[in-house]
Amino acid sequence: MRLGSQNPVQVRRRRLADPALGVTRAALWFLLALFVIYPLLRMLSAAFLEDGRLSLAVFFAILAKPSHRAAFINSLLLGALVGLFGTALGFLFAFTVARGSLRPRWVRLIDAATLLPLISPPFTTSISFIFSFGPRGLITYDLLGLKGSNVYGLASTLGAEVLTYFPIAYLTLRPVLSGIGGNLEEMAFSLGSRRFNVFRTVTLPLAVPGLANAFLLLFAASLADFATPLILAGNVFPVLPTEAYLQITGLFDLKGGAILSVLLLVPAAIVYLLQRAWVARGHYVTVTGKAGPQSAVRSVTPTARTMLLAACAAVALFILYLYALLVFASLVAAFGADHAWTLRHYQVIFTEGRKAIIDTLIITFIGMPLGGLYGVLVGYLVVRGPARGRAAMEVVSMINYALPGTIVGIAYLIAFNDPPVVLTGTALIIIACYVFRYSPAGIRTTIALLQQIDKSLEEASRSLGAKSATTFRRVTLPLVMPAFLAGVGVLFIRSMTAISATIFLVSIGWSLITVRILENMTELSLGPAAAFSVFVIAVVMVVMGLLNAAVRRLPTATGEQMQWGIGGG
Amino acid sequence: METCEGRPVPIDRMRVRRLPPMFRWQRNMAIVLMAIVSGWLIPATAADSINAYSIWPENWARPMLQEFEAATGIKVNFLRFSSGEALARVIAEKNNPKIDVLFGGPVETFAAGIKEGIFEPYKPPAATVLPARFREADGYWTAIADDPLVFMTNQKFLTENKLSPPTSWDDLINPAYKNTLQMADARTSGTAVTRIFSVLEVNGRDEEKAFAYLRKLRANVQLYTKSGGGGTLPVGLGQAAGGIFFIVDALDTKAKGYDVVISFPKEGIGTSAEAIALIKGAKNADAGKKLIDWATSPAMQGLFAKYKINFVPAHPDVKTEASLADVLRGAKIFAIDDAFAGANRKRIVDRWVAEILP
Amino acid sequence: MSSLAIRLEHVSAQFQHRVQGAVAAVHDVSLEVQPSELITLLGPSGCGKTTTLRMIAGFQEPTSGRILIGDRDVTGIEANDRGIGFVFQNYALFPHLTVFENVAYGLRVQRQQASHIAVAVSEVLALVGLAGFERQMPHQLSGGEQQRVALARAIVIRPGVLLFDEPLSNLDAKLRVQMRGEIRSLQKKLGITTIYVTHDQGEAMAISDRIAVMRNGAIAQIGDAEQLYRRPASVFVARFIGHANLLPASVTRVGVGNVELDIGGERCIVAVQCGDLRPGQAATAVIRPEALGIVEAGKTDGGLIGRVTSCTYLGDKCEYVVDLAGAALEVTKANPQPSDRIVPGTVVRLNLPAAGIHLLPEG
Repeated sequence: MRLGSQNPVQVRRRRLADPALGVTRAALWFLLALFVIYPLLRMLSAAFLEDGRLSLAVFFAILAKPSHRAAFINSLLLGALVGLFGTALGFLFAFTVARGSLRPRWVRLIDAATLLPLISPPFTTSISFIFSFGPRGLITYDLLGLKGSNVYGLASTLGAEVLTYFPIAYLTLRPVLSGIGGNLEEMAFSLGSRRFNVFRTVTLPLAVPGLANAFLLLFAASLADFATPLILAGNVFPVLPTEAYLQITGLFDLKGGAILSVLLLVPAAIVYLLQRAWVARGHYVTVTGKAGPQSAVRSVTPTARTMLLAACAAVALFILYLYALLVFASLVAAFGADHAWTLRHYQVIFTEGRKAIIDTLIITFIGMPLGGLYGVLVGYLVVRGPARGRAAMEVVSMINYALPGTIVGIAYLIAFNDPPVVLTGTALIIIACYVFRYSPAGIRTTIALLQQIDKSLEEASRSLGAKSATTFRRVTLPLVMPAFLAGVGVLFIRSMTAISATIFLVSIGWSLITVRILENMTELSLGPAAAFSVFVIAVVMVVMGLLNAAVRRLPTATGEQMQWGIGGG
Repeated sequence: METCEGRPVPIDRMRVRRLPPMFRWQRNMAIVLMAIVSGWLIPATAADSINAYSIWPENWARPMLQEFEAATGIKVNFLRFSSGEALARVIAEKNNPKIDVLFGGPVETFAAGIKEGIFEPYKPPAATVLPARFREADGYWTAIADDPLVFMTNQKFLTENKLSPPTSWDDLINPAYKNTLQMADARTSGTAVTRIFSVLEVNGRDEEKAFAYLRKLRANVQLYTKSGGGGTLPVGLGQAAGGIFFIVDALDTKAKGYDVVISFPKEGIGTSAEAIALIKGAKNADAGKKLIDWATSPAMQGLFAKYKINFVPAHPDVKTEASLADVLRGAKIFAIDDAFAGANRKRIVDRWVAEILP
Repeated sequence: MSSLAIRLEHVSAQFQHRVQGAVAAVHDVSLEVQPSELITLLGPSGCGKTTTLRMIAGFQEPTSGRILIGDRDVTGIEANDRGIGFVFQNYALFPHLTVFENVAYGLRVQRQQASHIAVAVSEVLALVGLAGFERQMPHQLSGGEQQRVALARAIVIRPGVLLFDEPLSNLDAKLRVQMRGEIRSLQKKLGITTIYVTHDQGEAMAISDRIAVMRNGAIAQIGDAEQLYRRPASVFVARFIGHANLLPASVTRVGVGNVELDIGGERCIVAVQCGDLRPGQAATAVIRPEALGIVEAGKTDGGLIGRVTSCTYLGDKCEYVVDLAGAALEVTKANPQPSDRIVPGTVVRLNLPAAGIHLLPEG
């Protein structure tokens, strides 16, 4: 490391004094290699290697199919539209909340409405959409008298995805808009600018980084969405994740599925790189708790405020309606045919579905602390570890998160079904999938928090006689605790509601609630499907409430940042 | 402790109040190891249990397999997949099979699987009395039920549009049904494959004629569903006007209380046997064979009536349940030639995907 | 508690600059600090003073050389084993701990008994004037209070050495003056050997026993305030400590214990500090602004002739800039009376002080 040192002894002593760091680093790299790099390589080789030689023949054959090319273009189109509309809707909400001086009651309504899509299992919006907008839908037929409306295709997929993902944009933009201090707008007013001009020339431009970030987040989310298009896209609007899934499960073409996944890799990678360029370079909005003085000037006229509020309330109420439909479906005997009240479906899920529930909870609760700790350790090493390999570790740890779930699931299936590492059929493969796919939220929050913790704090601890382990335990860890809890929170939500990756990984030994929901839907047991969904939402709300309460009691309670951390994942 | 000379007293390194990250890491590795071990242990089956993938929906597989357990004491751990998914999984797991038996599912799925070398031939006792179409020549699969296709339409739709239930294939290409039909996607569902081969059969195996019909039919299709029965609920709800389904799914929908009508085309419609097979390399082959024996015999098929499972039994000694027989009376139903279907499945499905689906 | 001496022997710190290659932040620094002494490392930013301090603390490794605390070679030893107390520029208080816990931190690490800790902490808090602040959180304190907590935290563990890294630069001017006095008196009271880093020359002169002026990674001169001020060893030190006028001079005659110089035509005799001066040799004379007498030309004879270009009245003194044959000289006149004021443009005579000239050999 250091050349020309007169005392070789001193270098060795330094190294020995920090074995914990070195061992941790080696262990993390081993895990990353096994659970991130290896499956990806296996999948790429399955896609492109034929008998050990590079072969692009199948690749081109797959590309030649018009339905696949259409799927590629559709995915990009859908992603862009979802990004656009979702960001706009999220901005509407964020602006209304940040500038509208709303009464707490309204803020609570909006928070509830935007929280629901984030914590729901898949398909919930889709089911309600079909019931509302199909040929005999509650809204299209019963309310509006339209006959023969087509609920399958781009429009409803777009609508469902926008409603599902706009909360991410909302949660991303809210701190951004709050952070644009009232001072700036005050200043603009003092210079004689009209309200709308202020909005156009001051607020909006300053919000652009946040808008770009939100757009990219939504684009990536839509790109990877497997569940909604499966139900709503129909056959006229194929998209890549579902095509890849069908290629494997329908045409039992693992190679073709792998290739379609690789196609999905390209836009996903571009989005990820763009995000790093935009966001990672210090566009983090750190909420210091020292808000600037509240602007005495109202940024929005009362009329505008009412209109904005009305728009938000309308959307929020619509979302609540969709979920009410779900609850209703879980409590009636046969939705659409027999509306007798019954608890039978709940009975079913707690008896026949008990294994899935227990399996899911076990896997979730094992994965949470593991993933939380992993996230904090990786974050710590990325910020404070030895310079060599830091950037590499950060990038590699994000790969499984950036990739669409279908790819990860297929990769794991290919990689872990055959020796040398056989994990299919176990709980570990599912836990590993969750941990390495959903921990990056915790990693990012840890990095953000650690970067705010000056190095001198740790030096002070050392100067007072504490070893690096003690320093980590008594100084670093408590200060990073919000990040740990944020990571755990995201892991929990995702573990309860994820499907696109893990649908390939369930087995006789281990099943998951979300896969059961899908099964129930395909078997037309809507009641149990709805009951499962309601159960998942309830559990998630309870646990998230507990976590949030825990965070608020932390010594450096940065409650706002925590909220952002969970939602933005 | 007194400090002297301004130097701190050396800290006793071994006394730690809480686990430092070093030990914490080891503890967590221990947890991970436990998860691995338990994960590996759970799917390991005891001698008196077997693993299976069921293509039959859980509502039917569960009672049957529970009866099997009651009768023999062997527990069946199963996971439900649609036929395409099930086949894909078994093929993917070829080198390290996770299951012993593939339970239920249309025969053409099994035929496709034979080519992939995933089955172990086994002839249960019942094979001797089963007609030729209910068993595979070399014993790779044996039938446990028969499942004819039917037309199912929504009564309200018919009434509103002054239509009678369709009794011909040509009725379905009536423009009145535009964008209202739902039926299975051939990529994932055996129902679709049976349907397509029925069309082929009805058109004298003339592919051009058959595909011309299918193209006309496409105009009326609202959605091709992932699973065979996926369209039954929309038809029941009125979201769709009708579709072509296996009789089990259709009757199930009717039984739930939905307002639907079942009819048959006069040109005839296909039926597909449901089969069972032993997986090559099964870890519990003997117990698996017992399941096959039981399922192919009246022991299981006699229970269809009890659980209101509307399959036609394959075993000749089991009588079709009365109400089911009523529905089938007068219908022209022919068997799909499995050899023909098996040989041409991939090609026909690919052609369907390329020409009809988009 | 007895205090320790510190010795640096040929310490260097090198690091790889992305563009410039190998750069020496600290180059061959040797230093001896006496027990209970307060020595300041003074210099402009980038001179290596902080790096040197951090090497003594153990936060940075020297590339070569030895560091001894007491008679213990600590060069390879971790920061947490060196028995030092460090006070940071940004205080580095643990934000999640109370004042009490912050101060008690080092004692807890030493596994001391709770009762002893309570006593020690309240003692030291009283010492820094923060009795009663135990339950406060760092963010509730002002800058000065935070700095005192940092100080208390460093002192309570009874280190053999106390290290300060520009501790007052985040405070406003008045507070700085007050705090530096408190730090000095505390240090004298406790008698801990202290190394203090600052770029503020006034601060250094106010509190130090000795000052080490650093430049470009090396020590330019060590001495107490008076030595540095009156007898700077180089142009750099002369300019860095206080204001200095540098006039070219040539030696005309060498006597015993003194030399005669020719400065701008004026002759004067200077008591010699440096040997080996020969007639005709060129040298630089360092004259402090307050040492020059300034009188209107008409009112006196003798001295250097120049013209006043600016006059700044500061209440307790007047600062003049005088143009002397192209060179700008600073002249300060203390306690200016209205009748003494000289307006810019006036021709004046500057009297060279008998005992206010310091000679730096050329080269």
